[in-house]
Amino acid sequence: MSNPVVAKARTFDTRTEANIPVESPLAYSYQRSGAPAPSAKSRVVLRERAMLGHLILRGGAIVLDEAVRAVLGFGLPARPNTLSHSEDGARSIQWLSPDEWLLIVPGGEEFELEGELRNALGDAHYAIVNVSGGQTLIELSGEKARELLMKSTPSDVHPEAFPVGKGVTAVFAKTNLILRRPTETRWELVLRRSFSDYCYRWLLDAGAEYAIGVER
Amino acid sequence: MSKSVTQPNRLKEGGRIDRSRKLGFTFNGQHYQGHAGDTLASALLANGVDIVNRSFKYSRPRGIVAAGAEEPNALVQLGSNEAAQVPNVRATQQALFDGLVARSTNGWPNVQRDVMSLVGKLGGRFMPPGFYYKTFMAPASMWMTYEKYIRKGAGLGRSPMEADPDSYDHLNQHCDLLVIGAGPAGLAAALTAARSGARVILADEQEEMGGSLLDSRELLDQQPAAKWAERVLEELAGLDNVMLLPRTTANGYHDHHFVTLHERRTEHLGETAPLVDGHRGVRSRMHRVRAGQVLLATGAHERPLVYANNDVPGNLLAGAVSTYIRRYGVVPGNKLVLSTSNDHAYRAALDWVEAGREVVAIVDARANPQGDWIDAAKAKGIRIITGSAVIEAKGEKRVSAARVAKIDLDAFKVTGQAETLACDTIASSGGYSPVIHLASHTGARPTWNEEILGFVPSLVKGVHAAGSARGIHDLAAGMADGVAMAAQALEALGQSARAVELPQVDARREGPACALYQVPHEKPTLRAPKQFVDLQNDVTAGGIELATREGFESIEHVKRYTAMGFGTDQGKLGNINGMAIAARCLGKTIPEVGTTVFRPNYTPVTFGAIAGRHCRDLFDPERYTALHQWHVENGAEFEDVGQWKRPWYFPKVVNGKKETMFDAVARECRAVREKVGILDASTLGKIDIQGPDAREFLGRVYTNKWEKLAVGKCRYGLMCKDDGMVTDDGVTSCLADNHFLMTTTTGGAAAVLEWLELWHQTEWPELNVTFTSVTDHWATMTITGPEARNLLAEITDIDLDRDTFKFMDWREGKVAGVPARVFRISFTGELTYEINVQANYAMHVWKTLFEHGEKYGLTPYGTETMHVLRAEKGFIIVGQDTDGSVTPEDLGMQWCVGYDKPYSWIGKRALTRSDTRRTDRKQLVGLKPKDPKVVLEEGAQIVFDPKHAIPMPMAGHVTSSYYSPTLDSGFALAVVKGGQQKMGETVYLPMADGQVHEAEIVSPIFVDPKGERQNV
Repeated sequence: MSNPVVAKARTFDTRTEANIPVESPLAYSYQRSGAPAPSAKSRVVLRERAMLGHLILRGGAIVLDEAVRAVLGFGLPARPNTLSHSEDGARSIQWLSPDEWLLIVPGGEEFELEGELRNALGDAHYAIVNVSGGQTLIELSGEKARELLMKSTPSDVHPEAFPVGKGVTAVFAKTNLILRRPTETRWELVLRRSFSDYCYRWLLDAGAEYAIGVER
Repeated sequence: MSKSVTQPNRLKEGGRIDRSRKLGFTFNGQHYQGHAGDTLASALLANGVDIVNRSFKYSRPRGIVAAGAEEPNALVQLGSNEAAQVPNVRATQQALFDGLVARSTNGWPNVQRDVMSLVGKLGGRFMPPGFYYKTFMAPASMWMTYEKYIRKGAGLGRSPMEADPDSYDHLNQHCDLLVIGAGPAGLAAALTAARSGARVILADEQEEMGGSLLDSRELLDQQPAAKWAERVLEELAGLDNVMLLPRTTANGYHDHHFVTLHERRTEHLGETAPLVDGHRGVRSRMHRVRAGQVLLATGAHERPLVYANNDVPGNLLAGAVSTYIRRYGVVPGNKLVLSTSNDHAYRAALDWVEAGREVVAIVDARANPQGDWIDAAKAKGIRIITGSAVIEAKGEKRVSAARVAKIDLDAFKVTGQAETLACDTIASSGGYSPVIHLASHTGARPTWNEEILGFVPSLVKGVHAAGSARGIHDLAAGMADGVAMAAQALEALGQSARAVELPQVDARREGPACALYQVPHEKPTLRAPKQFVDLQNDVTAGGIELATREGFESIEHVKRYTAMGFGTDQGKLGNINGMAIAARCLGKTIPEVGTTVFRPNYTPVTFGAIAGRHCRDLFDPERYTALHQWHVENGAEFEDVGQWKRPWYFPKVVNGKKETMFDAVARECRAVREKVGILDASTLGKIDIQGPDAREFLGRVYTNKWEKLAVGKCRYGLMCKDDGMVTDDGVTSCLADNHFLMTTTTGGAAAVLEWLELWHQTEWPELNVTFTSVTDHWATMTITGPEARNLLAEITDIDLDRDTFKFMDWREGKVAGVPARVFRISFTGELTYEINVQANYAMHVWKTLFEHGEKYGLTPYGTETMHVLRAEKGFIIVGQDTDGSVTPEDLGMQWCVGYDKPYSWIGKRALTRSDTRRTDRKQLVGLKPKDPKVVLEEGAQIVFDPKHAIPMPMAGHVTSSYYSPTLDSGFALAVVKGGQQKMGETVYLPMADGQVHEAEIVSPIFVDPKGERQNV
C-alpha cells in the first residue's frame, strides 16, 4: 500500500490488490430481488458497472481544467450539466455544480490519478475526494429505457432536452441520483450505495412491463 | 333473473358503435347486451333502463341525464368481485366491456324499491338544507353512529375490502404545449402547434377523440365532421413531436403549468388490467406534465333548465339526446318534448325526428326565435311553442307528461294556462357553460360574459383557452380560435406558428339565446314541486332560496350550507343555475353573486394513480449499510433511523425460543462491558473537509476550539444553531493540516452538510474550504469492550500499544488485509476501535472479525444497546436528550465551549443572552429511581411537589430511560429546571395511572465517572 503523506491533505488508497472478496452495493439486491436474465423480449437492459474509480473534484474550473488536461488528456466539460470523456469513453468528467465535478475512471486507477492531479494542481485551492466505495454505476439501454426513466424522474429526458453528453443530478423516485447520457443508446445512473437497493427494486418494478433484463 | 337481449331503444343503423360485436353486461343483477363502442350509459339507455340510481338525500329515482363527465346521477359501483370494486364511476364515462358488472351506488335494498324514499317522500318537506347538520350533529359523539346508517341508505360508493390486484404508476412528461380537449378547437390547436414543430401533448377524457365533432350535424368540407377529426388525428398520430392521450382527464392544474393527467389505460378492457406476456399492465397512470404553455379546449357543458320534478327519469340534456342518437345509435325514448332557451338545442329535436320517433313539441322561452335550425324544425312539421317553457314534469319512475306554460322571464312568473303534453322524454337546454374548472384551479376568478350567458375563464400567464371553453360556441369560429390561440401560445415560447387551413363550414343563421335558469311555476318556489339544481347533492331551488332567507349571502356560504357543487360532481351542471337562483333571491346580478371556486380533481381519481409505484416496499427508500445482509441473516430486529434500517438488537434463538428484547439488550450490554461487542456504525454521517481554511471553518461552526488539534488526533465537537441551541455533535479528526474528517449524527448527516455549505456560500465565501459527503464510501465497524485490543491485534498491522495509539488518536493500516483507518473514540466508555474501510470490503472485514472474535465473546449489538451504554456514560443523543431548546451549558458541557476563540462562531452571541444565562433553565441530570426496578417513562413529566394542586408546575421531563444490567437498576437522563444545582434532591413523576414515582437527581454519568475504562 503506497501511502504518501501530502503535507496538506492526506490521501489514502482504500483499495487492495490482495485477493479479498469485494461486494458491490447491489450484491445483496441481486440475491434478494433477483436479476432476471435479458431475453429477446427485454426492451430495457440493466447492467451494473461496479468497482469503478469515482473521484469528486472541487475547485476553480480553470486550474482543474489545466490539471486534468495535463494528466488525462481531456478537459473539464465546457458547460454546466454536461460530460466530457476520453476518446475511448472509459474515463469521464461530469459537471455537478459550479465548483464540483465527478471523475469516473476504470477501477484501480483512482488512487494514482489522485496523486498525479494533486501534483499538477500544486498550491491551488482544490479538493479531491475518493468516493469509489460509496457509489455504483448502472447502465440502462433498450428501446424503453427512456420511458422507464420518465416513470422515475421529473427531469426531461426527451432527446431534445437531454442530448448525448448531458448529465444532471436528478430526483429519482423518492431519492436522487446522477443521470447521464454518454451515448445515443445508453443511459447511466450513478447511485449512492445506501440508496442503491431501493433504486434497483424501483427499476425492476417499473421495468417489469418492458420485461427488463439484468446483465451480469 | 330474467335475461333480456333486446335493445328496444337501439337504432338499426347510425352511430359509432360496432353492431357486429356484442358485449354482455350485468346491471343491478340483470343481464343485458350492448355493443363495442357503447358506454355503460348508452347501453343502459339502449336497453330501456330508466332508473339507474336513487338520489343522495331524498332517495328519489334517477335516470341518466348527460352523456359525459357532467353526469350527476348515473354513478355506479363496478366490480364482479371484492378486489375489483370501484366506486362512483360515471356510467357515461365507462366504456362497455364484455362481462362488466355494475350496480347502483345508491338505493337500499334496491333502486326500484327503496327504503329511504319513504323518508324522502314523507320527510321531503322536513329535510331542508342543513338537515343533517341540524338533526344529527348533537350530541357530537353520536354522529358516528348516525352516519353509519345514513351512509348505508344514502351514501355514495364503497371502497374494496381486498387488495387491489392492479398496478398504477406515474409518468413525467414535458412539452411545449399541452392541449386539453380534442374537440374542434383542441384539434385545430394541436394541429397548428404540431405542424409548427412544437412538442405537443393532446389529452382528451373520452373513449374517442373528436369531442362535439363526433355527434355534430354540421358538415366540414361537405363531409361529416367526424371524418375531419379522424384525418387530423391520423396526422397527429404519425408525428414524433406529438403525444396523443385518449381516456385521459386533466384532473388538476397545479402551479407553474404543472398539470396532472389521469390516464385510464385498461378500464375499457376489463375490470383488471389484462395480462400481456405474463405481465399485468398498468391500470391507470398519472402523467405529471410540466408544460411550457397550456391550452384549454375543454368545451362547454350544457345547462339543464330548472323546473318542477326535473329529476324524474326521462329528463335529459338536449345535447345528450343528440349524442346518444348520433354517436351511439340510441334514442332514449319515444315521445320528446324539448324545452330550450337557444337555437343550438333544436338539433336534439331534429335528430329525434330523423331517428323516426315523435317530437311532441319544441317549447322555446323566446318570443320570436329565428334561425336555420328553427326553420328546419318547422319544415319537419314540428310544433313550436314560443314564449313558453316546460314548468313541470309529470311521472314517478319515468316522465309521463310535460306541463307547458307561457312565462314572463323578467317578472319570473307563469302568465298563461298550463297545457299538459303527454311524452316520455323531456330534453332541456338553458345554454352552455364553458368548462372553466382547470383555469379555476390556478386561482384565477372567472368573469361573467353577458353575451354568452356564462362565466369565461380568467387566465394566468401561460394559459390559453380556445373555442367553447371561452364561450366561442360557433363551430367555424371555435376552430379558428384554436389555431389563433395555439399561435399565441407558440409566440409566448418564442416559436412561430405555421398556417393551418381549416375546413369549410356552411354558415348557419342563429338567433340570440335568452337568459333562463330556473323556470317559474304557478306556485312559489318553496311550495312548488322540487326543482332540482344539483341532482347529485339533491339541492333544490327552494333550498337555495331558503338558505338566502336564513341569511347566507355569500355564494361560498350558500354552497356549504346546501352542499351545492360538492362531491364528485364539483358543480358541473348545477353551479351556474344555483348562482342565478341565489342572485334572483338576493336581488343581485350573477356577476355580483360570483362563483364558487372549483377545486381539483375535475373528476374522481383513483388513489392508486395518485400513489403510483410509491407503495408497499417502495413506499419510501430504505437505506442499507454494506453489512445489511449479515444483519438480516443473523436475525437482527431493525429500527428506522431516518431512512436507514439499523439493527436494533440481535435476539438469539435458544431452544426454538426467541430471546425477548429486554434479555437480548441485557446480554449485549454485558458483552460490551465484560468482553467485546461490535456495532455497525456505517450510518454515521461523514464529511470530508479540505482546504487551508478548514481548521478555522471548524472553529466557526463548532462551539469548541480546533486550532491545536494535531494530525493523527480526534476531537469531539458540539454544533449549535445561531440561536445557541445544540443541533448536532460528533467527532472530527485531523487527517492532515488542511484535511479533516467530520462525523455527524445518522439523522443529521444531510442537514449538517447543507448547514456547512450554507454558511460557507452565504456568509464566509472568503474561506477556502470544501465539504464532500463520504458517508457511503466508508463502512464503519465499532469494536468495543475490554477485549477489543486483543481481538483487533490478531488481524491488523497497526501498533495498538496503549501509549502510541492513545484514546482520541487515529491510525492507518490494514485490518483483515484491507486498508483501514482506525479511530480510538468511544461512545460506550469502553476501550473502542472504530474501523473504517471502503464499503465494498466491509463484509470481508466484518466476517473476519467474527472468525477471530468467538474466543473473545464478540457479540453484535444494535442501537438499543448502544443507547443504554452511552446513557450510562451520560453521553447525549442530539434529538433525544436535546430538542432544539438546549444549550451546551444546559447539558453541562461548558468544557466544550470556547468563548475566547479569536473569531466569533455560530451560537456565541445567542449564548450570552440573558435568557440563555438563566440559572433555572432545564438542565441535563441523571435520575436514579428510588425503586431500582422502575424504568421511568421517556417523556414523563417531573415535578418538585407532588402534593401541589393541579395544575402542578412542571419542572422538566425524562429524555432517556433504560434498565442498566451493569447497575442492575433503572436509570434515566432528564432535563430539570436548575437541575445541576439540585444534586441529591428528590423529584416526582406522577403517572397517568395515578402512581407517583420518586427519583433522586444524580450526575448523568452512571458508569466509570473518571473515564478510566476507555483509556486503558
